[in-house]
Amino acid sequence: MADPSTQASLQPRPQQTQSSGTTGSNSMPGSANCDPARPGLSQQQRASQKKAQVRAFPRAKKLEKLGVFSACKANDSCKCNGWKNPHPPTATRMDLQQQAASLSEPCRSCGHALADHVSHLENVSEEEINRLLGMVVDVENLFMSVHKEEDTDTKQVYFYLFKLLRKCILQMSQPIVEGSLGSPPFEKPNIEQGVLNFVQYKFSHLPPKERQTMFELSKMFLLCLNYWKLETPTQFRQRSQKDDGTAYKVDYTRWLCYCHVPQSNDSLPRYETTHVFGRSLLKSIFTVTRRQLLEKFRVEKDKLLPEKRTLILTHFPKFLSMLEEEIYGENSPIWEADFTMPASEGAQLGHPTAVISPAAVSSTPSFSKSNSCSTSLGTMSLDAVVAEPKTGEKRKLPEALTLEDAKRIRVMGDIPMELVNEVMMTITDPAAMLGPETSLLSANAARDETARLEERRGIIEFHVIGNSLSQKSNKKILMWLVGLQNVFSHQLPRMPKEYITRLVFDPKHKTLALIKDGRVIGGICFRMFPTQGFTEIVFCAVTSNEQVKGYGTHLMNHLKEYHIKHSILYFLTYADEYAIGYFKKQGFSKDIKVPKSRYLGYIKDYEGATLMECELNPRIPYTELSHIIKRQKEIIKKLIERKQSQIRKVYPGLTCFKEGVRQIPVESIPGIRETGWKPSGKEKCKELKDPDLLYNMLKNLLAQIKTHPDAWPFMEPVKKAEAHDYYEIIRFPIDLRTMTERLKNRYYVTKKLFIADLQRIITNCREYNPPDSEYCRCANTLEKFFYFKLKEGGLIDK
Amino acid sequence: MALVSADTKISELLTELHQLIKQTQEERSRSEHNLLNIQKTHERMQTENKTSPYYRSKLRGLYTTAKADAEAECSILRHALDKIAEIKSLLEERRIAAKMAGVYSDSDPPRKTMRRGVLMTLLQQSAMTLPLWIGKPGDSPPPLCGAMPASSDYVAKPGDKVAARVKAVDGDEQWILAEVVSYSHSTNKYEVDDIDEEGKERHTLSRRRIIPLPQWKANPETDPEALFSKDQLVLALYPQTTCFYRALIHTPPHRPQDDYSVLFEDTSYADGYSPPLNVAQRYVVACKENKKK
Repeated sequence: MADPSTQASLQPRPQQTQSSGTTGSNSMPGSANCDPARPGLSQQQRASQKKAQVRAFPRAKKLEKLGVFSACKANDSCKCNGWKNPHPPTATRMDLQQQAASLSEPCRSCGHALADHVSHLENVSEEEINRLLGMVVDVENLFMSVHKEEDTDTKQVYFYLFKLLRKCILQMSQPIVEGSLGSPPFEKPNIEQGVLNFVQYKFSHLPPKERQTMFELSKMFLLCLNYWKLETPTQFRQRSQKDDGTAYKVDYTRWLCYCHVPQSNDSLPRYETTHVFGRSLLKSIFTVTRRQLLEKFRVEKDKLLPEKRTLILTHFPKFLSMLEEEIYGENSPIWEADFTMPASEGAQLGHPTAVISPAAVSSTPSFSKSNSCSTSLGTMSLDAVVAEPKTGEKRKLPEALTLEDAKRIRVMGDIPMELVNEVMMTITDPAAMLGPETSLLSANAARDETARLEERRGIIEFHVIGNSLSQKSNKKILMWLVGLQNVFSHQLPRMPKEYITRLVFDPKHKTLALIKDGRVIGGICFRMFPTQGFTEIVFCAVTSNEQVKGYGTHLMNHLKEYHIKHSILYFLTYADEYAIGYFKKQGFSKDIKVPKSRYLGYIKDYEGATLMECELNPRIPYTELSHIIKRQKEIIKKLIERKQSQIRKVYPGLTCFKEGVRQIPVESIPGIRETGWKPSGKEKCKELKDPDLLYNMLKNLLAQIKTHPDAWPFMEPVKKAEAHDYYEIIRFPIDLRTMTERLKNRYYVTKKLFIADLQRIITNCREYNPPDSEYCRCANTLEKFFYFKLKEGGLIDK
Repeated sequence: MALVSADTKISELLTELHQLIKQTQEERSRSEHNLLNIQKTHERMQTENKTSPYYRSKLRGLYTTAKADAEAECSILRHALDKIAEIKSLLEERRIAAKMAGVYSDSDPPRKTMRRGVLMTLLQQSAMTLPLWIGKPGDSPPPLCGAMPASSDYVAKPGDKVAARVKAVDGDEQWILAEVVSYSHSTNKYEVDDIDEEGKERHTLSRRRIIPLPQWKANPETDPEALFSKDQLVLALYPQTTCFYRALIHTPPHRPQDDYSVLFEDTSYADGYSPPLNVAQRYVVACKENKKK
């Protein structure tokens, strides 16, 4: 479907349709090998042809041309700023055949000779003359553009550039765009870096060939962006009602001056869009650009090379959707200046210092500000300012995030935001009311609640520190490292002290240190393997008299956020028997998803220890997770209370469970619909309309099954006397008689329930009996039979 | 029903406590005038630079009044403290009754569902709210105030916290924090529950294996003799655990709310002792065995 609005926007500007180098070939759109998608010559091509033509003129002709843009120097009083030909050429002005005007030819407006206008060019090199001529051609082009352009904003910029170039010809200077636009690059990291980070971040786990595909897609996307015509500020304002478009207008003007206009007017310095702009521009243009891009590909799909066609039509939309998540996502790591590419381990390890900010999510795209510290401070330093927990401010951040998330991922039957906000208002923090007794936490407080409060109050601090051999040592860090070594060796008495020392002071290992009153009271020593995509937890301990306060949990949560920032999403560790419990509570499991080849030979292997893994979810703000969940629970509780006060009806409890029914469909519970509960999925609309119809069908079907010659083993419940251990092995026994009863009780309100019970008869039989037994043979035949019948009755798809 | 009546009893007591506190303030405002008088009289004597018999008798009268006022205020405060003690004991009774009946309220869930961290906070809380013993002038601190040992025939009541020497599964003996369940006068044995019900163990122990914990804090400013002194060997609850270990007093508390600073015996440190750690008065008891095992 062509979007009429975008089509309309494309129409009045003929130069833009060619500007998208989107056909997948890596050739630049302006180059000579003409693309079938681009009819005729691009404006850029025309401009360069014209320039070549002009530059091939004899000198006299060149001077005449420049004279038109040069001030008269006959005397001081003459204000004429360009020689006007007294005999305007009849044919095309640039006709080669036409004789060059003589230097003595007087100007139509001031009467002075052409020579008086071009006297300053006498001793100027041919090269400079050619440069000026280039500007002349561009000025002429811009003049045309100013006339053709209908959008006021764009027109203004064209006119400004037109004047700028004219001035430069007059003064023989270099064109420099001045004013409040700033100079490129306008944002860091730039779009190209962000998109390449995205490819690393999302696809580095893929096999090389697929990774290459994704890389090519990213290159193509960047190329498209560089030649893509942006929508005008007016269109932008119309599209996004919320944004007033001031910021976009600035970006648009920058783009015109530095990227777009220089493409066809090469006397202006040119920059690539993806090099000088960053996430904020991409945020403003992505939705529209994506739609236009995909539409263009769709329209032009027949002109694409066959091998590119599959790539573009199958992978590109998905690629763009994934990219979209990272562009608009709250805490995407790809826009971090210090995003570490898994491929560049060597460089990465040179910086064992980093800072844990209280929340790993940076809500504002203030890239340079928040990131400069970790790179510039060098190896042996830390930034206490950032590491200081910010009271008050911190609390808000994750809440805003959850709300933001809730907004983004709309779920069916979601509660309107206004209602949630309203409920939020009524939930007052109970701790705020209680006066001096707040330190007494309720019995079901989260494990890390105390630690979180203490961090907020500045009682405890978290810092990632490490030793360095190349950098001068900071005494405080060294003291902390010694403190860590002491804590580890006291708490892990089975580890040789020398071994602990070696690793804590090893420059490739880092330690997240927990500091209280300036002293180390705990820490997690770890080694990152960015190339392998995991981090090894080496030591983890809290000093004995500070245990059971939630510090261990809070430490691990900080470590998780630190790793999300650095795009490593797997922890591996060899846990000894006392540590397994701790790691389980921190979300570690004995199921290892990281392939063995990735960690074998990298991780330190300990005898008698258990390998455990933790997979991180980059969307979770771990240090605030328990708090967020607590809030969510409170909200749900309030919502339930509200609902209860609206619906004042009490139903008698269900009795069917006492009678041996194991499960009933949720929708059959009296009153459940009144609470606003809706069955999920589509089957309800198909089936529930006529329960009697379903009942009769199932009754008929069950009767047929019961008369099948191979149904005899399944007619009645298995007797314990016949198979004494049957009920120990089979947890959910079922048989045809029970099914008949259930049918009679109207238990089978969906066909799904009925089929599930039928299938269970078969699976139970196969589980209990050997495969070559008579029972299993019956089960096989019966299964075939009833599936045939189900299909026949249209209860399942054929 | 018993629980309900305890509730009403507590709310009655709280009302009385509230009134007592108000009375204290009234008493204070009343005596304020007299104290001001004393101050003024002193100033006047200063300026006149002589002690006339008039002033002498006036001051005597004023001071007698002030003393009476102070005593009245003091008795109200003591009365209020008694009320607090009564409320606490009622709460304790209720807790024990609930425990016996296996009924738990929301605010006091069964231990086994309690996180260890919460248990630790409760233990700290109980140490912090241990009442401070305030004697009348000339009174000496009673048994179980601070370091004062219980009398030899003392029997701990059900619900009291004690240090109990138990045999662990591996045969090692350990002093644990426990709660008295009952005492049998016929066998002279205690039944105690491990406070840390993760073990869910009930122990039957002879008297000498039980050390009752102090029931009052000693005030270092008025009753320093009721505190352990520096370098004395004690049993102290290791922070964030429910076990008592041998330790040396590093520094006794200086103010009523201060903790002891103690050095635990710990062979993993070069000098055989841990760095100084803080332990509340509530959890420091005399160590009977003076010889190291």
